[in-house]
Amino acid sequence: MENLFVNMASGMRSLLASAGLPDTATDFILMFLKLGAILVYILISALWLVYMERKVSAYMQCRIGPNRVGPLGLLQTTADIGKLISKEIIIPRCADKKLFLLGPILIFMPPLAVFAVAPFGKDMVAIDMNIGVYYFLAVASLSTVIVWMSGWASNNKYSLIGGMRVVAQMVSYEMPLILSIVGVIILTGTLNMSEIIRAQENVWFIFLQPLGFLIYLIAGVAETNRAPFDLVEGESEIICGPFTEYSGMGFAMFFLAEYANVVLVSVMATTLFLGGWHAPFGLTFIPSWIWFLLKVYVMIFLFMWFRWTYPRVRVDQLMEFGWKVLVPLSIANIFVTGIGKYLYQTIRW
Amino acid sequence: MAKGLIKGLGITLNRFFKPKVTVQYPEERLPLPDRFYGRPEFYYDKCIACNMCVNACPNRVIKLETETVDKKKVVTKYDFDQQYCLFCGLCQEACPKDAIKFSKDFELTRYHRPDIKIEFVKPEMVERKKAEIKKAAAEKAAAEAAKAREQEEQNPAAGKEGS
Amino acid sequence: MTIKTEEFLLNLGPQHPSTHGVFRIVLTLDGETVVKAVPVPGYLHRGIEKIAESRTYTQVIPYTDRLDYLAGMLMNWGYVIAVEKLMGVEVPERAEYIRVIVGELARIASHLVATGAYAADIGGLTGFIYTFRDREEIMDLFEMISGARLTPSYMRIGGVAYDIPEGFIEKCRKFLDDFPKAIEEYNGLITGNEIFQARTKNVAILPAEKAIDMSLSGPVLRASGVNYDLRKARPYSVYDRFEFEVPMGAKGDCFDRYYVRILEMEQSAKIIRQALDQLPEGPIKGKVPKVIKPPRGEAYAEIESSKGIMGTYVVSDGSTQPYRVHFRRPSFVNLGYLDEMLKGWKIADVIAILGSIDIVLGEVDA
Repeated sequence: MENLFVNMASGMRSLLASAGLPDTATDFILMFLKLGAILVYILISALWLVYMERKVSAYMQCRIGPNRVGPLGLLQTTADIGKLISKEIIIPRCADKKLFLLGPILIFMPPLAVFAVAPFGKDMVAIDMNIGVYYFLAVASLSTVIVWMSGWASNNKYSLIGGMRVVAQMVSYEMPLILSIVGVIILTGTLNMSEIIRAQENVWFIFLQPLGFLIYLIAGVAETNRAPFDLVEGESEIICGPFTEYSGMGFAMFFLAEYANVVLVSVMATTLFLGGWHAPFGLTFIPSWIWFLLKVYVMIFLFMWFRWTYPRVRVDQLMEFGWKVLVPLSIANIFVTGIGKYLYQTIRW
Repeated sequence: MAKGLIKGLGITLNRFFKPKVTVQYPEERLPLPDRFYGRPEFYYDKCIACNMCVNACPNRVIKLETETVDKKKVVTKYDFDQQYCLFCGLCQEACPKDAIKFSKDFELTRYHRPDIKIEFVKPEMVERKKAEIKKAAAEKAAAEAAKAREQEEQNPAAGKEGS
Repeated sequence: MTIKTEEFLLNLGPQHPSTHGVFRIVLTLDGETVVKAVPVPGYLHRGIEKIAESRTYTQVIPYTDRLDYLAGMLMNWGYVIAVEKLMGVEVPERAEYIRVIVGELARIASHLVATGAYAADIGGLTGFIYTFRDREEIMDLFEMISGARLTPSYMRIGGVAYDIPEGFIEKCRKFLDDFPKAIEEYNGLITGNEIFQARTKNVAILPAEKAIDMSLSGPVLRASGVNYDLRKARPYSVYDRFEFEVPMGAKGDCFDRYYVRILEMEQSAKIIRQALDQLPEGPIKGKVPKVIKPPRGEAYAEIESSKGIMGTYVVSDGSTQPYRVHFRRPSFVNLGYLDEMLKGWKIADVIAILGSIDIVLGEVDA
């Protein structure tokens, strides 16, 4: 079990090599397969998460949630997506047609690209990049542009307000998000995700960086546009924000991308703070990738729990909280971490 | 500082594990009270065509037509146009004979608009009623005739005796 | 460098998720800040007052259900009390008590919707479901006593339609016993939440003088610290026999307007409990002729509905149909100050302020 996917990859590699393909071609095909597998994982995961969200929200609200389509309602999302695909794509008359259609196509790109560096288990990383964290931060923030673009292209005032909010919110919360990660980077001295996980063999960084984790959590919720920071969609205020004018599959793409982003932020939290694939309490008989996914879904449950408990903050409060509370706190965290590390090193050596 | 936030999380998590309150509708149903206003029911034989329900209805939902057969009113039409019904129960309250009543059937959706209107009185019912009245009248007439004949039969004798 | 900016119009509603129906506000915005707000009601106008002129006095009752459809019982009451005044009908005591019980239940139901919908307006959907879960109990009670859940048409001129059915009192008591727990839950989930407080405290403060000037009423007025509740100020029906307090806010901000409703629900529960204890035996309908033909004249009567003072003005020309019926709808009157309250706040606050006034469009537009 432990090396299921690793063995599959190496088996595939030897199969291709024995077929007499050159090494570059083998690498290419293998990379393609790995990314394909990640793509499939994300799509299934997004489908599952929509279902999970509905079930979690229902259970918290004394309801049962979807239970009609398929066993326990498991096929509900599939049916919904099927319905959305079959619906007409309506383009508003005054919309910027090209940008309007480009939005839902591009929205899935940033999360997909980032997943390439996500370590799903021991030796299970598609591309082991030495600047993985940096890459994650850089690419993940790209989705801001795409959402803003769709909001602009819709030529709807609600969409425009939503699009503007995306930019303001993302810029404000990218700061504490990055700064909260700096603490981890100071501790490990590397930007490579696998290295960071390896450094957490003995103690998870959530215990060394509790404040950093908290800031990451809050900023992460804001990054994924979920309650209490779901101002971008802000259903009761601006209807659906940038996605107001989208129908059918266009809407479904944004919908699924939101969940892909949730998985992404959870994957990062797991990698940076929750010890990645490391098993707690020495329970190593459970494969590392199962541990990793378990932690990811615990994080996702946390996000859902927040969403179905908290109301939404206001736009100026959001900005104030980001710049006046989170940024100073995260900078303080960096200072404390730096001093702590310096003291630790001087005492040790 | 964040006491309220944590308390809120506690409440939702607590509810997460508690039993649910929803009823799985088509399979499970809640019991309906006796006073429930569902689909109306009309008892043709009870109706005396007094027009009370027609006059009581705020939205003029009920159409009632009668025909007089042998000096007796026969209801030939009792249409209940449900789409305009407010389900206020004033007709039921007005009826002196309990001829219109609301049942507990609340699944009133129909695929076609003409199906919404309930035409309670069927032609055969009218025919039956008419026949009944005629029969009753005929019987009554026959009985009267028989009685008269009987009297006639008895009377001459009595007359004879008396004279 | 200065960036050229300009104000823009945003049409909020009539199709909007949180205008509580088909209310429309035309906002002039500077970024996200409201510069000017023009409320546009009227999208749900059905002409109930006009309809009433071509109906008999009893037939108007089902239409009053559709005014404030969240508290149909209270709307019934507001109408029948005016006709009773016009006719000089004496309402039997038992009927008055039953009216108080169902009326206060309707008040709780209406405030539950207000509370839940307010939580949803602020963004917390779970609170909405919780309040609706508990409102369902009241709806079941209404169904038991009147046969309908939302539009009971339960009251009649001179009394009520039916007597209390079997099992109603027990069920009502059970609801009242469980209710404090539910309120505790709302306070934990909604009232105590720091984000909720940040969103509502000090938002759109309504000074007491202005509230009086605009003749606002109900929880909106009392949140501004004005002690004016018809049930206490000018007791109608049998309200002078119950012990209860009139909860008031201190500041008159959105939070106060929200929280006054929660406190009022507690007081209503208290009143129902007393009414159930004192419930006398007797007839449920006064001496009313079968065909209601009030004498020539006019009458105006008010009750304290869940949204404020609900007044009905009835003019009779001596026939079986009212010559004119006018409803003073509290939701509509309470909106009078909305445009000024919205000025200077953000779009998100527009929803919060509108929600805190707690309008029902059936009542606003009649």
